[in-house]
Amino acid sequence: MKTVFVNPERCIGCRQCEFACTVEHSKSGDPVAALFEEPPPRSRIHVAPGASQLSSFPVKCRHCNPAPCQQVCPTGAIFRDAEQDLVLIDAKKCITCAMCAMVCPFDVLTFHPQANGMPTRTVAIKCDGCIERVRRDEQPACAEACKVDALVFGELNDLVRVGRVREAHAVLSAVSALEPAALPVPDHVEAWRAWGRSATAVREG
Amino acid sequence: MAHDTDINGLSINKDARAMIARARDEGVETVWDRLAAQQPQCGYCAMGVSCRNCAMGPCRIDPFGEGPQKGVCGADADVIVARNLGRTIAAGASAHSDHGRDILEVFAELAEGKTSGYEIRDKDKLRALAGEWGIATEGREAFEIARDLAAAMMEDFGTRKSSLGFAARVPSQRIERWAELGITPRGIDRENVEMLHRTHMGVDNDYVNTLLHCLRTSLSDGWGGSMVATELSDVMFGTPKPVPSRVNLGALRPESVNIALHGHNPLLSDVIVQAAADPELVQLAKTKGAEGINLVGLCCTGNELQMRKGLPMAGNHLMQELVLLTGALDAMVVDYQCIMPAVTDVAKCFHTDVISTADKAKFTGATHISFDPRRGLEIGKEIVRRGVEAYGNRNPDRVRIPDETVEMMAGFSVEAILGALGGTPEPLVDAIKAGKIRGAVGVVGCNNPKIQQDYGHVMLTRRLIENDILVVVTGCSAIANGKAGQMMPKAAEMAGPGLREVCQALGIPPVLHMGSCVDNTRILVLAAALAKHLGVDICQLPLAGAAPEWYSEKAVSIGAYVVASGIYTVLGVQPPIFGSRNVVKLLAQDLDDVVGAKFAVEADPERAALLIRRHIEAKRKALGLEFRDV
Repeated sequence: MKTVFVNPERCIGCRQCEFACTVEHSKSGDPVAALFEEPPPRSRIHVAPGASQLSSFPVKCRHCNPAPCQQVCPTGAIFRDAEQDLVLIDAKKCITCAMCAMVCPFDVLTFHPQANGMPTRTVAIKCDGCIERVRRDEQPACAEACKVDALVFGELNDLVRVGRVREAHAVLSAVSALEPAALPVPDHVEAWRAWGRSATAVREG
Repeated sequence: MAHDTDINGLSINKDARAMIARARDEGVETVWDRLAAQQPQCGYCAMGVSCRNCAMGPCRIDPFGEGPQKGVCGADADVIVARNLGRTIAAGASAHSDHGRDILEVFAELAEGKTSGYEIRDKDKLRALAGEWGIATEGREAFEIARDLAAAMMEDFGTRKSSLGFAARVPSQRIERWAELGITPRGIDRENVEMLHRTHMGVDNDYVNTLLHCLRTSLSDGWGGSMVATELSDVMFGTPKPVPSRVNLGALRPESVNIALHGHNPLLSDVIVQAAADPELVQLAKTKGAEGINLVGLCCTGNELQMRKGLPMAGNHLMQELVLLTGALDAMVVDYQCIMPAVTDVAKCFHTDVISTADKAKFTGATHISFDPRRGLEIGKEIVRRGVEAYGNRNPDRVRIPDETVEMMAGFSVEAILGALGGTPEPLVDAIKAGKIRGAVGVVGCNNPKIQQDYGHVMLTRRLIENDILVVVTGCSAIANGKAGQMMPKAAEMAGPGLREVCQALGIPPVLHMGSCVDNTRILVLAAALAKHLGVDICQLPLAGAAPEWYSEKAVSIGAYVVASGIYTVLGVQPPIFGSRNVVKLLAQDLDDVVGAKFAVEADPERAALLIRRHIEAKRKALGLEFRDV
């Protein structure tokens, strides 16, 4: 099963995923023309600030299974695409009751008119996994835009294994005093982020 | 607007907290709301590894090392970070130097007798400056001398010289070091233009070379543009002498027409002070039901006026929206720099008339009254009249003035400090040698909403004076320390025993107000005078600089010229350089071997105080003076 996996320690808060998502879900698909479209296209990924300054996390639909939003949707507008294993919304069936938003564990549902104007009224909008791109064997727009590998598209178990191997290396090198494997965060980025933690600690006393 | 942040965490000040609470109650957006709305802020930009200098880009470097490591042109993180820092410094140095030029141009017109509302108030300083610049003074009228001095200073802005006029103030060891490094500033405008040239794609592709020009550009500000601004302001408006004043939002009076003077340049505000005393305008205010016309300062225009006239100070950078929220401000007169575009939005929620005055700094939503030095006093009166008229629109039910003012002292120019010492730096040098005063630190710079307002300034200063370190302050830091009650002679009680004794003997506060942010040059002049007196280089002295809450491009230029002049500097907010290990290493480590000083970054003022104390004691040890382990 392929997914967009998040490495939170990598996110530097540039929000380029939001921009790429918005363009991808615009009528024109063009970054300049998208700015002038009506209704305005909307991002389905949201980079939220973390607990201390200089930390952040990209929040998007995790395409849960079973999906709470799908379970509570009274009109059956939310369904699962069997081929790509993605949770999708049929906008025409959506009655904007917001039940999906109430039960979503990640608060990723937003309500806007769709960029293609079908239908023109406000409906529930969320990540569609860039299903058209994935069908073309391309990665989702957010993962493509992310140059720091905070968002990575791939087989879920492969991506989990990368982290597990890294963890294991770190633990084993600690007990055997071997040189640790490359840390996920280089020293200069860690120094940059340390200021944010320090500034936050000072503010919070 | 989400308000999940505790107001107490945003500012240490009672007046600020009260007004932030009011803003929240009434749905008025302030700087803290906008900072929250901007979270998270882009890490590429915050680390300095994004570049939009050309149309092959924009580009960014993955600081984690796996994504792109070069821009389209081939620039790596080192080159991009250095270029970005260079442009930041060029912008900051240009701001100060353009301010200096504006003062110089009015000074030149004054010398030609073409201005209204200006005079040469300090003829002694004019003659002393002329002497420094090699201009004959014997038997000549002040206006003649001024004409020649203005012409000579204008040459410093151009390209016809190999070194600035004020370089004569710099100790010879430092001049030699600059010459060896090729960073002697040649022309004020020239270094800025050259920086823009160098940072164009395909010019200076060596980060070390770019960073050296960063220092040269900043020196053209510190020993050039800013110094011209300070020195000529003294000649035209008077050299500051110790003067009592008051500070915080309590400076506004419920029964008076309140006019705030905000920005940086004293050219207009000085004539407004004259205009506000005009009997006709005072009478007009009384017919409107006011007791009189009350002028208050904000930011560095406020500092210029407080230093010379004791004008009460409403607040520093982060108070500019909050002063409007009192509902008691009738007019905010702005010149330029650090004036948030947001002030006109906040002003719309009240009756306040925002009046812009500089043709290079207009604000949508403000009334623009173009400043012309030839009609200075006339324009000053027109502006004050508008403030009086706006008072008629004030709703007394919406007035909230949150606190009583705090007493502070201002006016410690180099001349005033030397005066307090009996005309020579000898007593200060003796106190340092004896260890009563361990050293001196300039705590300067802005406010930044990323830091609890004034906490960085006040806590760092407190820790330094407690440890017998004399503190000199300018800009927002002076206002913060004034509000904290650390700038009265009685604050000597807060100081360590040695500093306390010296302050009490001289009747001075342990924290001395040296002026606005262009007046950081006063600190350079004092440091140079001390070094020359001892026959050493500035970098050998037990001195340091700190900018605990800086935000502006000007502050980066100041930090760079202070370090390039040989003074270790601790920044409370990190500059956008952490995307390049090499740039960080050069600025925070290797620079010490090159210019005898370096930068440090430390958000916590308690820890910053320790860094500075260690540095000062190390410098004492190197000079063969008694030293302490910190």
